[in-house]
Amino acid sequence: MGFQKFARGTAAMALVLGAATAAQAEPLKIALVETLSGPQASTGLLYRDAVKYQLSKINEAGGFGGAPIELLEFDNQGGPVGAADRVRAAISEGADIILQGSSSAVAGQVTEDVRKYNLRNAGNEVLYVNLGGEAMELTGAKCHYYHFRTTPNAAIRVNTIMDGMQEAGVLGERIYAMNQNYSWGIDVQDNTVEAAGRLGVEVVETTLHDVNKIQDFSPYVQRIQAADADTVITGNWSNDLLLLMKATSGAGLDVRFGTAFLDQPGNIGNAGAVAEGHFLSTTFNPEVNPEESAVFMEDYKAFTGHYPSYVEPTAVFGMMLLGEALKSVEPTEDGLNAADLAVALENARVETPMGPVYIRAEDHQIVQSMIVQEVSRDAKYKSDDTEFGFVPIKVIAAEDAEQPVQDSCKMKRPG
Amino acid sequence: MKYAPLLLLVTVAVLIALPWLVSGSMLNAAVQMLISALFAMAFGLLCGQAGMLSFGHAAYFGVGAFAAVHAMNAFGGEGLLPTPLLPLVGGASGLVSGLLAGYFSTKRTGVYFAMITLALAELLHALAPHLKTVFGGEAGVSSFRMPAWGIGFGSLNDVYFLTLVWTLVSIGLLYLFSKTPLGRLALGLRENAHRLRFLGYNTHALGTLIFAISAMFAGIAGALQSMNIEAANYVVLESHISTAVVLNSFIGGVRVFLGPAIGGAVMTFFGHVSSDLTRVWLLYQGIIFVLVMMFLPRGIVGELVERIRNPSGEGLARTISTLLARLASLAIAAFGAVFLIEFLQRVLSPEYRAGVTEGNWPDIALFSYDWAPLSVLPWAFGLGLFGFGIALVIMVNRRVAARKEAQA
Repeated sequence: MGFQKFARGTAAMALVLGAATAAQAEPLKIALVETLSGPQASTGLLYRDAVKYQLSKINEAGGFGGAPIELLEFDNQGGPVGAADRVRAAISEGADIILQGSSSAVAGQVTEDVRKYNLRNAGNEVLYVNLGGEAMELTGAKCHYYHFRTTPNAAIRVNTIMDGMQEAGVLGERIYAMNQNYSWGIDVQDNTVEAAGRLGVEVVETTLHDVNKIQDFSPYVQRIQAADADTVITGNWSNDLLLLMKATSGAGLDVRFGTAFLDQPGNIGNAGAVAEGHFLSTTFNPEVNPEESAVFMEDYKAFTGHYPSYVEPTAVFGMMLLGEALKSVEPTEDGLNAADLAVALENARVETPMGPVYIRAEDHQIVQSMIVQEVSRDAKYKSDDTEFGFVPIKVIAAEDAEQPVQDSCKMKRPG
Repeated sequence: MKYAPLLLLVTVAVLIALPWLVSGSMLNAAVQMLISALFAMAFGLLCGQAGMLSFGHAAYFGVGAFAAVHAMNAFGGEGLLPTPLLPLVGGASGLVSGLLAGYFSTKRTGVYFAMITLALAELLHALAPHLKTVFGGEAGVSSFRMPAWGIGFGSLNDVYFLTLVWTLVSIGLLYLFSKTPLGRLALGLRENAHRLRFLGYNTHALGTLIFAISAMFAGIAGALQSMNIEAANYVVLESHISTAVVLNSFIGGVRVFLGPAIGGAVMTFFGHVSSDLTRVWLLYQGIIFVLVMMFLPRGIVGELVERIRNPSGEGLARTISTLLARLASLAIAAFGAVFLIEFLQRVLSPEYRAGVTEGNWPDIALFSYDWAPLSVLPWAFGLGLFGFGIALVIMVNRRVAARKEAQA
């Protein structure tokens, strides 16, 4: 309760301060255009928690231009059409920054909408902070000056997990790439093949399968068995990941999985012992830098009621970077100038509990350290009330996790 | 119905004046409403007039959307296909795909027809993510509306008028179609296909043709949507788009001409407004559908038309006063129900439970009052209002029934 009272007190104070300075500057409005209802809402709500948490920190530190930042929430109803509609609504209500994360399909729409809006309204730009859309083309063919991605992408995920597993001596010689047959899965597969060439291991087979339609993965498990693979690298998420792991374990196959989304809430609870010994590469683990991480974990829990997991730390780090950039921007007469903020974001650098985080100017992809981790009973923080959690195996520093800029990104810089 | 033309003129005048009457956000909603009205009308032609229930209309909507976005990129809004004529591409592609799909699906009727349409739509939906060059992968295909005919098409107003003109013209064409002999035959197909066959008509060709025309207008609606959002993504092929158009049309009243359009517009508006107000708007949408199906099986517009055609014989004043009494008591019950649902949702939300500590349940603000969740007050308030409203409805109904009995 102590923290809550404190937070309320500061919020009230910030309000008073804000009222006093209101005559000078309009409060900055940030719009969260997220999936808040329907079957895909669970991830959207995690982004909402993370954004609210870090925004409260920014506002405690004085907000922007002396006034607390206002968060506008919009429900994109799970699809690009709703998102296009809500982005317009957000801009017409005066939002200067758009936040979104839970789907690459929506991210593709939002980034294009922002680009076109900025083309038509030069001098009055808005900025899009992509907290979670991981599709390669968002910083590739679709990259533009006002899009900033604060989450890893397929290249970073795959290269870090394979580097980390190689160094830990668990990668083996024979890799199987099993992925969902759509742009994300194909990105993961292509990067797996490339990384294998670099590391001198063999990709014995690649498979693309239907997305979220397969109930019985045993034919796929037989192919893994026939290929005599040591490790399966997969970008699968949700049921496609769970059922694949369960089928593999059911067949008594001794392969390790290198995954990108094993930490999604419910996965470990559902898979239980089946997940043990499998690997994940993501941006956070509470056992790395335990002192600062523990403070973050407890503070986050006090604010939202649960420990940060899955997309939440990544989103919080992204928001930290945004807060840092806002500090160095002076408000103009009509509030925030997005062009100034874009420059500030390119130059901002923050220390998270996991290390430094910054935006690369060439394609506006975040550069941050990645933590390769293993599902184990020894974890300090357990997932989904099971006896399992994630223990860090290898921290890959930001500069080593960084992947080359894609050739398809032709960013037009102003001026 | 002699006021119908006048009513129509007023509606069109209001629609034309709309950009000067409402805010940008509402105008945005209006564009969506027009598009879903047209889509529902296309569905209504097939389902309401010809009696063929399609569960896969998203396919033709999506085909139109993708065709338009590719045409937009190919022509750059110039030459043969300037921006305002792009929906023609959507219509043409809808027509062609409708002819193909209709040929197969109209070989069967009833449930089997519905299953085939569903299967064809799912086929396209499953195929789309694999064809990155056509459907653009997860991030979709995007485009840019280019100026044409001296109009910029950058502002929302331009988009609104473009959508309005196309929607009105399309609905007008649909109306004229329903008056042609072919349109009349559609009704025959619905009422008794066997007799139609005995009369010497080729019912399969007829069904295919009506299916194709319906798909054509769905394609125009899809094209308008991809022009509005300047992009198309394969999620437009998802089955919930097909379901939404069925629900919207039935809520409006699928057998009266403008029923689907009004159903589509009203439910889109409902989603637009309520989705930012509450997280459980989908629940409300479901409740509305169930209630309409239970108590107004002809749909909202269908019921209205029925009442006007067959007045109760109680005189205008009495009918209106009964209607108002019913609406008022329903409003009370609805408020009670909404209060209960919202309160429950807030109590159960993770944010609230995060703030709950041992025996300390903070108050919840709802409708500008603070309510203690452990006291009986909020629950009694919600339940009481709901019960009171329902009791009032029953009372009004009993009175009406008693009056009718007295007359008989």
